[in-house]
Formats: sequence, structure tokens, C-alpha cells
Amino acid sequence: MLEGGKIDSKQAILLMVAMVLPTAFLSVAAVTASLAKQDGWISILLATLGALLIAWLAVSLGLRFPEKTLFQFPEVILGKWPGKVVAFLYIWWYIHLNVEVLRQYGSFLVAAFMPETPISVFMLLIMAIAAYAVRNGLEVYSRVNELILPLILVSVVILNILAAPEMSMKRLLPVFEHGAVPIIKGAVMPTAWMGEIVTMAVLIPYLNKAKEAYRIAITATLIAGFFMLITQLADVAIFGPVTAAWLFPGLDAARVIHLANFLERLEPVVMVIWVAGVMIKISVFYWAAALGSAQWLELKDYKPLVLPVGVIIYALSIMAHDSLLDLFAFLGMFWGPYALTLFIVGMPLLLLVVAVIRGQGGSRH
Amino acid sequence: MLIVLSLLGFMLIIWLEAPGLVKKKMWRELVAFSVFLAIGIALSIPQLLGIRPFEPNAPIEALFKPMAEWLKEP
Repeated sequence: MLEGGKIDSKQAILLMVAMVLPTAFLSVAAVTASLAKQDGWISILLATLGALLIAWLAVSLGLRFPEKTLFQFPEVILGKWPGKVVAFLYIWWYIHLNVEVLRQYGSFLVAAFMPETPISVFMLLIMAIAAYAVRNGLEVYSRVNELILPLILVSVVILNILAAPEMSMKRLLPVFEHGAVPIIKGAVMPTAWMGEIVTMAVLIPYLNKAKEAYRIAITATLIAGFFMLITQLADVAIFGPVTAAWLFPGLDAARVIHLANFLERLEPVVMVIWVAGVMIKISVFYWAAALGSAQWLELKDYKPLVLPVGVIIYALSIMAHDSLLDLFAFLGMFWGPYALTLFIVGMPLLLLVVAVIRGQGGSRH
Repeated sequence: MLIVLSLLGFMLIIWLEAPGLVKKKMWRELVAFSVFLAIGIALSIPQLLGIRPFEPNAPIEALFKPMAEWLKEP
């Protein structure tokens, strides 16, 4: 196999949480509040339900071919060339996902902390670190993540507790002011976010207990959903429906913290969460893109492809958007429908249906 | 200036990866590496000269416009 590493169930859960949460923590409230206003938390609940179904879909598909990844089993299911096309689209998706995450990462640091520095500097640095992590393999960055993710989760909880004096639950009322449709619309983007759990279909061959894949995917989705929910509730309880106007409500929530005249300006904590978390997030998708390319071309090793794939991601990332607003418009309006219909629900469902009809795989244990 | 630095960067990448592949006679991997790097360089050079060769998201935005409009309308 291309990737020699194996990770245990706990590492896999933490990895799947770290893959969803860091970017969501900062801006999920703005995305949902712009569509669902103060009912955004119901959108998050809906999205979590949707993501659980997606997790079930991805794992059912992956467990039919426990030795193969998402880039290999489409060939078995659909035949050689259609399968290659599907796998190629997934490689493109992982590259594109990374392009957008990388751009978001740089945009946040430039917009919020260092406006004089060119965005390319931040992006180059994080790509270099991620490339090093990916070259060292799945096992290595999973272990790094075991250290980083608990730190992130604890920071999120502490920030929300410290901001509690500024919150007023009245700002969450009235519930259902505009009916169900805005809530469903608000759930689209968080579902696409948590739906990144389809990466389980890449990860299953590298779990040391593949049988626990259902438990891993479900637990990871519930943890990610829970943290998205408390972030959403906290941000809206602080700012009300105006949250939609903020680009990074997570950051602004940290800015209002003001305790006993000495505990204030906690934005650096947010920056730590962002830099450390996004590093892991980029590493996971970068690894998937490099591994996928190598499996697609049936190479013996994916490591030689890591740096060239990084160059492609970096170049596309600079090219993709001309401004921060363009980035947010794309992510808020187009990313959800694009990722959900094609990659998160559409193709896995198609693959699963065809595999069930043709009776392929299924040697579950 | 930037373009010289970038070329040095690409040379660094080749220097890091290519000798090992040649030594281990992994020709297939070497070809894949070269093609991927060539795509990366082809995407980078125009931008260093101040040209944006194409908008990667334009086809996606065109394809998903109806759904995005549905999302946007209040």
C-alpha cells in the first residue's frame, strides 16, 4: 500500500473533528445568521443530522472495500474509465477544498491581524509546514493533532465561558420568525462543512480497526456539531442577527471579552486556534490530494507528488479570488450547492447504489 | 525579483525529489512528478508576470448559479 501508516480509532476521531472545526469556528455563525437570522442554531442541528446521514453513507461505501480508498474503488464499482473519471473529480475536489481553505487562512490573518503583510507570505509558510507534515505521513500528523485539537477545543470552551457576561439569550428570540425555509437554507453551508466527513472513505484502509469506522464517523460528527452549535449560540447571543455582518464572528466574540478590567484582548487565542487548526485541516486534504493522485496513476509512492501538488494548490489559491469579499461570496453561496450535490452526497450515493445493485464488495468483516 | 525567487523555489523542489527517484529508478513516479510540477509552474509564472490566466471558480459559479440564487433570495 502507498501509505504505510495506521491510526487508531481515537486518533481518527480527533482527526475528523480537526478537519471540520477550525474554519467553522470563526465564520459559521456569520454564514448561518445571514440566511437564518437568530434561528441559526436550528440550522446547525439540521446540518448535524444531515452530516450524520452523510457519515453513514461514506462509511457504508468505504466498508464495502475496506482495502481500497475513495480513489480506487470507483473503478471496481463503475468500471475502469468511468471510475477513473469519478476518482479524478475527487482529486480535483480535494485540491479545490485546500485552495479555498488556504485562501481563507491567509485572508483571515491579513484582514484581522497583519494588514501590511502580503497574503502570499502566510500561505507559503503554512503550505511549507503542511507539505512537511504530509511527507512524513498520516501517522505523524495524526499524532501532532492529538496534541493540538484538545488545546483548540478547550480554548473554544474557555472563550465562550469568558464571553458569557456579554450574552443575552433574548437575542435568540423570536424562534421561527420567518418560518422553515430560511432555516433550511442556513443549513446548507454547515452541512457542506461537516459533510467533509466523506474523507472517511479515504481513511478507512488506514484504520487499525476498520470495523469501528461507523463509531468514528458518528462520534466525530457529533463532536464537530456540538462545538459548532455552542459557537453559533454564543455568537448570536452576543451580537444578535447582526452577526451576519461580521466576517469572523468567532474573532469578534473574543474581542468583546472584558473581565475585571484586566482580562481583555484575547484575540491571540483565536489566532492560535486558527493557525494550529488550519494547519491540520490543510494537511488532511493535502494528504488526500497527494495520495489520491498517486493511487490514480498507480504509483508506488505518493511522497514525490507532495511538493508539486502543493505548488498547484498554492498557485490556484492565489488565483482563485481577487478579494476577501469575492472569497466569502463564493463560499457562502456557491460552495454549499457545489460540494453537496457533487462530492458529498451525489457521487457517494451513486457509487453506493451501483455497488448494492451489482452486489460488489460487502465483505464487511 | 519574485520570479527569480520562485524559480529558485522550483529548483529546490526538483533538487529535493528528482535525484532520489532517479537513484531508485522510479521512472513512472518521476514522470508524474514532472507533469504535476510543470502544471504548477505553468499556473505560477503568468501570475508572477501580473496576469491572471483564468478564474478557476468561474465554471462552477456558472453551473451552480440557479441554486445560489435560490439560496440568496430572502
